[in-house]
Amino acid sequence: MNKYVEAIINALKEFDPRKLYRNPVMFITEIALLLSIYLLVFHSEYDLSLSGLYIPFYISVLVLLFLTIFFSTLAESLAEGKSRDITASLRKMKKETTGRLIVDKEEKIVDSSTLRKGMIVEVRKNEMVPTDGEIAEGSGYFNESSITGESKAVFKVTGDSVTGGTVFLDDSIKVRITANPGETFLDKMIEMVEGSVRKKTPNELALSVLLSGLTLIFIVVTSSILPLGSFMKFDVNLILLVVLLITLIPTTIGALLPALGIAAINKVSQFNVIAKSGRAVENAGDIDTIILDKTGTITMGERDASKLYPNKGVSDEVMASVAYQSSYMDETREGISLIKYVKNLFPDIEKYKIKDASFIPFSSETKFSGIAYDDHKIYKGSPHAIWDLMGEKDGFIDAVCAEISSRGGTAMVLVEDSHVIGAIEFNDIIKPWIGERIKTMKTMNIKTVMCTGDNELTAAYISREAGLDEFVANSKPQDKYLKVESEKNQQRMVAMVGDGTNDAPALALADVGLAMNSGTQAAKDAANMIDLDNDPTKLMDVIFLGKQILITRGSLTTFSIANDISKYFVIIPAIFYIFPALSFINILGFTDPLLAITSALIFNTIIIPLLIPMAIRGVRFKPSTVDQLLKRNIMVYGFGGVVLPFIAIGLIYHLLLGVGILW
Amino acid sequence: MSSTVVSSGNFWTTFFVNNRVVSGVIIIALYLAILSFFGYLIAPYIKKIYTGENTKLRKYTDPIIGTIEKLAGVDRNETYSFKGYFISLIIFNFVAGAVTFFFLIFQGYFFRAPGQSVMSPSLAFNTIVSFLTNTNLQHYSSPSVLTYVDLSIVIIGLMFISAGTGFAASMAFVRGIMNDDKKLGNFFHDFLVAIFDLILPLSLIATVLLIIVGVPDVTYSNIIIHPFFGRLTVNIPVGPVASLEGIKNIGTNGGGFYGANAGYPFENPNWISNLIEVVSFTIIPIGSIFALGQALNNRKFGMMIYGVIMALFVFSALMTFFGEIAGIPAMANLGFNYGGNFIGKETAIGISQSSIFASGATLTSTGAANSALIDYTPAGILGVLFPLLLNDPLGGVGTGVLNIFTYVIFTVFLISLMVGKLPEIMSLKVSSKEIKYSTYSLITHPLIIIIPLGVVVLLSPILMSSFINTKPDQITQLLYEFASAASNNGSEMGGFTTNSAFFNIMDGIIILLGRYPIIGFQLVIAQSFATKKPKVMYGRTFDIGSFWFGLMLFFTMILLGLLSFFPILAVGPLLAWGKSFSLLIGGGLL
Repeated sequence: MNKYVEAIINALKEFDPRKLYRNPVMFITEIALLLSIYLLVFHSEYDLSLSGLYIPFYISVLVLLFLTIFFSTLAESLAEGKSRDITASLRKMKKETTGRLIVDKEEKIVDSSTLRKGMIVEVRKNEMVPTDGEIAEGSGYFNESSITGESKAVFKVTGDSVTGGTVFLDDSIKVRITANPGETFLDKMIEMVEGSVRKKTPNELALSVLLSGLTLIFIVVTSSILPLGSFMKFDVNLILLVVLLITLIPTTIGALLPALGIAAINKVSQFNVIAKSGRAVENAGDIDTIILDKTGTITMGERDASKLYPNKGVSDEVMASVAYQSSYMDETREGISLIKYVKNLFPDIEKYKIKDASFIPFSSETKFSGIAYDDHKIYKGSPHAIWDLMGEKDGFIDAVCAEISSRGGTAMVLVEDSHVIGAIEFNDIIKPWIGERIKTMKTMNIKTVMCTGDNELTAAYISREAGLDEFVANSKPQDKYLKVESEKNQQRMVAMVGDGTNDAPALALADVGLAMNSGTQAAKDAANMIDLDNDPTKLMDVIFLGKQILITRGSLTTFSIANDISKYFVIIPAIFYIFPALSFINILGFTDPLLAITSALIFNTIIIPLLIPMAIRGVRFKPSTVDQLLKRNIMVYGFGGVVLPFIAIGLIYHLLLGVGILW
Repeated sequence: MSSTVVSSGNFWTTFFVNNRVVSGVIIIALYLAILSFFGYLIAPYIKKIYTGENTKLRKYTDPIIGTIEKLAGVDRNETYSFKGYFISLIIFNFVAGAVTFFFLIFQGYFFRAPGQSVMSPSLAFNTIVSFLTNTNLQHYSSPSVLTYVDLSIVIIGLMFISAGTGFAASMAFVRGIMNDDKKLGNFFHDFLVAIFDLILPLSLIATVLLIIVGVPDVTYSNIIIHPFFGRLTVNIPVGPVASLEGIKNIGTNGGGFYGANAGYPFENPNWISNLIEVVSFTIIPIGSIFALGQALNNRKFGMMIYGVIMALFVFSALMTFFGEIAGIPAMANLGFNYGGNFIGKETAIGISQSSIFASGATLTSTGAANSALIDYTPAGILGVLFPLLLNDPLGGVGTGVLNIFTYVIFTVFLISLMVGKLPEIMSLKVSSKEIKYSTYSLITHPLIIIIPLGVVVLLSPILMSSFINTKPDQITQLLYEFASAASNNGSEMGGFTTNSAFFNIMDGIIILLGRYPIIGFQLVIAQSFATKKPKVMYGRTFDIGSFWFGLMLFFTMILLGLLSFFPILAVGPLLAWGKSFSLLIGGGLL
């Protein structure tokens, strides 16, 4: 309740002309309100009739004009209220705390606000990271729930960025501060949410120009009735002209435009994505190409053993037992999943465990791991590495491996001494719902490109399975940048996700760069949106949202302009009612001109609050082809915009007439 | 309705003679089909001019253009961006205007024929501005004030210059969209190409055809007729009528040799000449629209614009036709055989051919007339007036492409947002700059009509003393006059003394504002597109040539016109229309 009182107070504050002039349509409405008051005060000089039937009319005009502006500022302040909630919750995350500053290997407890860039602090178990920094020494788990709301602890190593306010869960760690007070991630976020609210995007500016142009025409058209009236020898009531002007100028879209802009940022924030500018959200709606990482976005990012392929003359059980032996000491994801897989096949597989064996760990140079016992050695590794190790290829198994690759799997070859035992297939599972979303992107005519470090065959398989348009295989970090650049050279709008420092240039170049909050500081600085939940698929939600915002804006504009036709056909016959010959344009057949004009103004006013929820929530739309969308929206907002006011004004008129109001 | 039924042996003759509405509609449809056909026929040729490809005429015209360029010191390879191009256009037009202005004022003293009066400076200003801008609003009857030297040099010269300027602007515009080298081209070269490759050859053809069907083309002389009855002799001046007629129509100029324009038998003797004239003033505008689609590699877009324009054309022509054929309700109510409103029309040409001529003349910026618009019914005049309020959708030579494109940009903006895209056209991003300038260009037109109209009506007792009709008609006439000036059309409804210092200067200013700022805004848009590289499309996208886009474009155009002028239309033609019905309902005043 309190929130609404505050919104109303803020809405009233927005009546200040110095603030309102930013919205030309509403500014004109305010001038019209003041002008009407002036005209009524000096009514005798302007020949305004003050007879009985005119008084209630004047009062209702003043009230309705006031309400028109009020509803507009209310919409804006309601939307602002929401964004204030968001900044408030961000501020809550920002806690003043203390840090253990390390100076010359001595520890000093200082206030977090005194920490500056480059200083080193120590953080111990269950202590809060005092401010933003990167890990200078050590590694461990962090609880980032204060930022992401996700209580699952995150493991970070030297070089990773840490955010102030998150809690360290392990023993001890040293952090190099990367932000001065006022420049931290949260500070920037708060600033962005507040700042983006105030700045008009290029598209909003263009719409403002268009609406101002229309408003100018309507001012001139309305004014021209005055000399026409004196020429035709009848008195035009100036208040009627004021009403005509207000109903003609695009008050509906004019009133809701500021709220629409703020609502856009808010909606993105509800997804736990922080947009650095309104422009970024707007761009998201117009994306032509979306560049996705394979791992984590299209696939689960976890490789699990899924099948064993014994060599010729090797039984299944032997294959399984050697696989077990190779991996029971292996703690990598692949090793664990392999053990799990063979245990499933042969529950008593543990009998093959070898005592006193030593483990040969995986390294990125050798690309294999294994065990050594007595003078036996068992290795499992990538086909390449194993063939190099053995000095020769096993034709059969190599063919099996190629086939596994072509299906999108990862093959590992298992050897015992010089015998090739078989191949193991690992599969990274494609997220089951990703195909659906890719299809949605395609209906919206967005090209999907996948970047992966996998080889050509695997990449081709995954991209086919997920329904992607293009893929970049064997991709190195700079390939992502090159892909963004080549798409940009074709004048296409590109969106991408990134988290590493080497993604930063590409993120900066892309029209929409979504950085993961868990990513490095450089990536977050380069991106124009940051996802607090670290979910790369959210990029697609953001695109959807951007479209929705543009559609809402366009539909309301069309609706607003289309409304004018019916308002003209109500008000013009009413103003010129003294010419009976003109009654054929009075297509609604209203007999009481003042009441007809009032009804039109009432419609003009109440349509604004009725549309506030739609403006804040966004127009509902199904992802469909542009042609279908166009057809639907022209019918609904174009033709609907012409017909609806006729019906609504007619209803209001007869309702007022019905309750006995007759002016 | 008709009480006398004509019958002859042939069923169809009987049918068409007795069902004049049907035959009128068929004649209008035939006209539209024929003019579309010729427009379509010439489109590939205009496309080649737009894209700079070699045409068959090039061989012969290039040396001429080269020689002129050499003499004038123009280097055709030197291309300019908006600023250079537009400044060349303005300076060239200004010099041409200034020279002809003084020529008109001073030559009058030397070459005056007996009975001719000297032009007042305000009339000379109005005349020069009007011919320089392709408007051809004539506040005079040409044989009575213009010396034959004036006519040959000033009028015909300016008719070529204005058409060439308009077409050059459209060449720059198309180039701006097609290229991304930040340049619009070289105005002088474009101008010469427009004249020698397009306008001059077509005018010659039109002139020859008109001579064949009987339009006089002689050196100056007067035909003196001694009527059998009456003592006064009738003195009819003749001159190079067909020559003037050729460029008048091909260049969408519209200023005739005689005051009655194409309503005069020597300008438009029969139905064949009528058809030739309608085709010749629509051929370049319609051809340019198809050529636009072809040059931009989007034929569908060209077809869509053609469709929208045709819808407007049909609407305008049928509104005029039905308005006229229904005539004045009071007359129709009298019960005798009333064949429609023939007042002010050449009976040899009839209502349907007058209607298509009148609506074609305001849909393009020609403004020629083969009937007296002052005598049209309110409904008929609405049909002729509304294209003027939309700034001549089909436009003049070249300017039609520019005008329609500003509407397209406006529509693209609304439509793109409605499908959740940022606006783009022909794979080019439409930024706020283009929206801004197309808005400027679209609002300039109503503003320069409504503001002067308001001013004149406000000062009415002094300025409107020469108006003779009733008040709603006076408003219609005033609206028509200013709308015709603002859209550089030049069609005259009349009804009051237009040759007064006030109207000469007021119209002159409106004409100038309706020409150069708007071309300027449109070329800024072209310049902005010239800096943009097209997007490489992937798969299907929002189709700018689709039916739904066309529908939206059509309604946007109608809506903008209706919204800007509805109150004035209400107390003008609509009120007059309503009054004519009241007479009917009231039982007849006659």
